[in-house]
Amino acid sequence: MSIIPISPARAKAPPVPQPLASRDCGPAGCEVDWLASERVEADLDIEAFTRFSLQQGWGDGLPLIPPTEGRVRQFLADNHRYPDEIIGILPPSNAECTVEKIAVNAVMAGASSAALELIIAAIQSIADTDFELYGVNTTTASVFPAFVVNGPVRHELDIPMAYGCLGGVATQANAIGRAIRLIIRNVGGQVPGESSQTTFGSPARLGGLVVAEWEEKSPWAPLAERRVGVRGDAVTSFGAMGTMNILDTTSQKGDEFLEMIGKSLTYVGNNCYSPAVPFGEVLVGINPICAAIIAETMPDIADVQECLWRHAAVDARFLQALHREQLEAQDRVRADGKVYVTPEPKDLILFVAGGLGGLHAAALHSFGTSLSQTHGIAQIVPAQQAAEYRQQATSPW
Amino acid sequence: MALGKVLSPTAYSTRDNASPGPDAGVLAGKRIGIRVDIIWRAWDWISENWEARLRAEGAEVSYWRSVGRSGAEGEQQARDLAEWLGTIDIAIVGLANCGSCTGWTIRDAITAANTGIPTVAIATKNFEDFAHLLAARGGRSGLRIHVLPYPLNERERDTVEDAANAHYQGLLDVLGAGQSAKRDAA
Repeated sequence: MSIIPISPARAKAPPVPQPLASRDCGPAGCEVDWLASERVEADLDIEAFTRFSLQQGWGDGLPLIPPTEGRVRQFLADNHRYPDEIIGILPPSNAECTVEKIAVNAVMAGASSAALELIIAAIQSIADTDFELYGVNTTTASVFPAFVVNGPVRHELDIPMAYGCLGGVATQANAIGRAIRLIIRNVGGQVPGESSQTTFGSPARLGGLVVAEWEEKSPWAPLAERRVGVRGDAVTSFGAMGTMNILDTTSQKGDEFLEMIGKSLTYVGNNCYSPAVPFGEVLVGINPICAAIIAETMPDIADVQECLWRHAAVDARFLQALHREQLEAQDRVRADGKVYVTPEPKDLILFVAGGLGGLHAAALHSFGTSLSQTHGIAQIVPAQQAAEYRQQATSPW
Repeated sequence: MALGKVLSPTAYSTRDNASPGPDAGVLAGKRIGIRVDIIWRAWDWISENWEARLRAEGAEVSYWRSVGRSGAEGEQQARDLAEWLGTIDIAIVGLANCGSCTGWTIRDAITAANTGIPTVAIATKNFEDFAHLLAARGGRSGLRIHVLPYPLNERERDTVEDAANAHYQGLLDVLGAGQSAKRDAA
């Protein structure tokens, strides 16, 4: 073995979805009964339904909104997807995740119907084989999919990007995150102690983690544009082990802040240093104040990643012998005697967010084999325009 | 009480092959493949122990080491695994000793079993039920699973060797290569 660079699988879906043709069957639904889910009789009182959902294995312990046919039909009628469209196959159940199942779980979570396309893009991203949801859902680790949102949809859905953006803001982003968690549970089949062996779990396995990049405060291009060239609405999924806070009340210059953040990424028990996985990524949140200072001397974000990465390494001698020997056997100790937290600088994934009090950075270490994914969020256009787009996309001229 | 109908939020895959696959039979002259990983040194030690015993039975033994599961590396791994499976007659796939590694072990074991060769997945006791559950969800509920003690990787080599010795005959039995196979051959 040698250092294995992270490179995506060759057979990948395009990150930019085709525009969706506008479609409206109305609240009563289309002429055909598209909804295929089993109908189950239940007490529709919220408290009774929440108890019932736990008995059925559907719930997460918090109050749930009963997904009546009327609510699910309305949710779908507000959107432009047919319910039997398969969005992805979710392991370990290997069940088909249809738009209908997404709608049912989103209704239960209390998510707005306006969030459907974001949720779909999020599910598509984690269903990508490179995300390795099978490992994420079954592992003893605490990993959960975290999502960074770019584009105007951040404002439309009130996705937090400023104070408290990683948790605690009263916004529908919590219901969106919870909807994704319920889909992972009810369609993916992730149940702690059964199909998931997670030793400790994470609070984000309940409500998810959906954060936006504060593009207006970032000195660099938006994350999705930097990663895959998607401008506008997009979501980046990341298999996160948790959130780590990094405080720096002392540094003054950009490279000083980056040294502090880089060194802080290197606690040796993080998955990126595990010999059990060949590589890792780290998602790093830079607050707007710090980002502005860094950009004064590093306007190119590749330079920021490079600077950060050079500090994100430990001397191999710092590791216990058994750990060091296993990494040495995998050729992960470099010529300079160091073990770097990621294979390359590009694997430190930066986004700008957080309150204007500055002082803190956030780091989310990856699970390992789960590679972050960026997907565009589908845009709704009139049917004629969608047809023209498809014709252009397939035209040899 | 306000009764009404709600839509089930759950989905399942109903695909299943409940067959354990063919018995291994007599091992002499067979090419046996052992799938190892980059995580569990105890599994490397047990594999070496069993390799010697399998060779003593007249079998050939080869190894395939699982590394990454995603990206270009994961694609290459899948191709390498398929190629290796084409070179063996019997697959011993381990080690299911954590959450994700049980998943990857079972997935590779199912891949092996689906080629039609006798296959056994190796799990430690704590992950036995989990391994069976993942096998069922992966569409091979009848997958053969042989169980080693737990904890295992935390033990010194002598203790692990004892476990390898104690569980070798069980391996043959689960594979359908035990005493009855030898009697049938005789």
